[in-house]
Amino acid sequence: MSTRDLVLAALFAAIIVALGLLPPISLGFIPVPITAQSLGVMMAGVVLGARRGAIAVLIVLLLVAIGLPVLSGGRGGLAIFASPTAGFLVGWIFGAFVTGYLSERLVDDKQSGLVQTVSFFLAAMIGGVVVLYAFGITYLATAAGMGFPKAFLGSMAFIPGDVIKAFVAALLGRAVMVGYPLLPARA
Amino acid sequence: MQTLYVEGNSPMHRLSPRVKLLSLTAFAILLFITDNLLLLSGAVLVTAVLYGTIGLPPGDALRRLRPIFVTIAVVALFNFVFNPWQAALVPLLRLTALMLLAAAVTATTSITEFIDEVTALARPLERTGRVQADDIGLALGLVLRFVPDIVDRYRAIREAHRARGLKVRPTSLLAPLIILTLKDADNVAAAIDARGIRRHGS
Repeated sequence: MSTRDLVLAALFAAIIVALGLLPPISLGFIPVPITAQSLGVMMAGVVLGARRGAIAVLIVLLLVAIGLPVLSGGRGGLAIFASPTAGFLVGWIFGAFVTGYLSERLVDDKQSGLVQTVSFFLAAMIGGVVVLYAFGITYLATAAGMGFPKAFLGSMAFIPGDVIKAFVAALLGRAVMVGYPLLPARA
Repeated sequence: MQTLYVEGNSPMHRLSPRVKLLSLTAFAILLFITDNLLLLSGAVLVTAVLYGTIGLPPGDALRRLRPIFVTIAVVALFNFVFNPWQAALVPLLRLTALMLLAAAVTATTSITEFIDEVTALARPLERTGRVQADDIGLALGLVLRFVPDIVDRYRAIREAHRARGLKVRPTSLLAPLIILTLKDADNVAAAIDARGIRRHGS
């Protein structure tokens, strides 16, 4: 990995940490506050691509593991990984990777803005929702002993918020693509 | 950023970080193998006592674990309603014991010790040619160095929006934040290479 890729991943990890320090963003048109950190995971994929995006998220989780309170609400430490929702945290890495992989494949700079936005949205939905929930629900069902049907139903409550995040991530992916494209230069 | 490390000289503090991390892994595996309520209750008791000996004031010790324990408790409550009580109690005890031991390891291991340990663990991966173990410390350092800058930059962009009478919306704030931050990457990377910090870097 080049020094630039390493620095890009580290700076994006810093953005994700900083998003946890900010108060939750309220979107205005719907009364759901957006906890910006899981949005950060989708953004890592759409902005940096598969490899650098996954590394950015991995760095954040490493900071959590070594005892820095970098998750929203000042949470951190190894104990976080004992929570029933730890599957979602581990899923972040794969979610960012898949979002990034699909973004790299689906989006190029010759497409129109609409096609790019829709493609980024699809990538963020598959990576940041389907893949993420596959990990989260599996852990909730097995390790937390909830059983699959109930873990699935319980998690559905959070899906609408995550669909909105995927939409916001798609708009941001498109905006960064126009302003400072990193995706074409794959790591 | 305040770390979760607690200064002290308890037996847990004196153990080597490697022993602590390996024990935590082994303990987690054992917890997930057994369904025995007596054994699991014993594990909670032992880890609670252990967590109590690391020298945190009781109030702080509880406050730290509250958010995690609340999630464990909510899931357990849900389980009690829909599953037989044994099936609900097992994960409750299991995750609580794991949480307590993990919190004890976090509180008694300094950031430096952790980074050294993670670097040592990654050392064998260098042979694959894809990972440089020393990059881990460098990346973590970069994050900690840049978080305050990013928060300041976010505030500056927000103020600029307000001053121009623009609506403060996440999409309009985050895009410039990300672009401005990532534009720094070239300068930072050039500085790192100029100082020869990554000797093996390409």
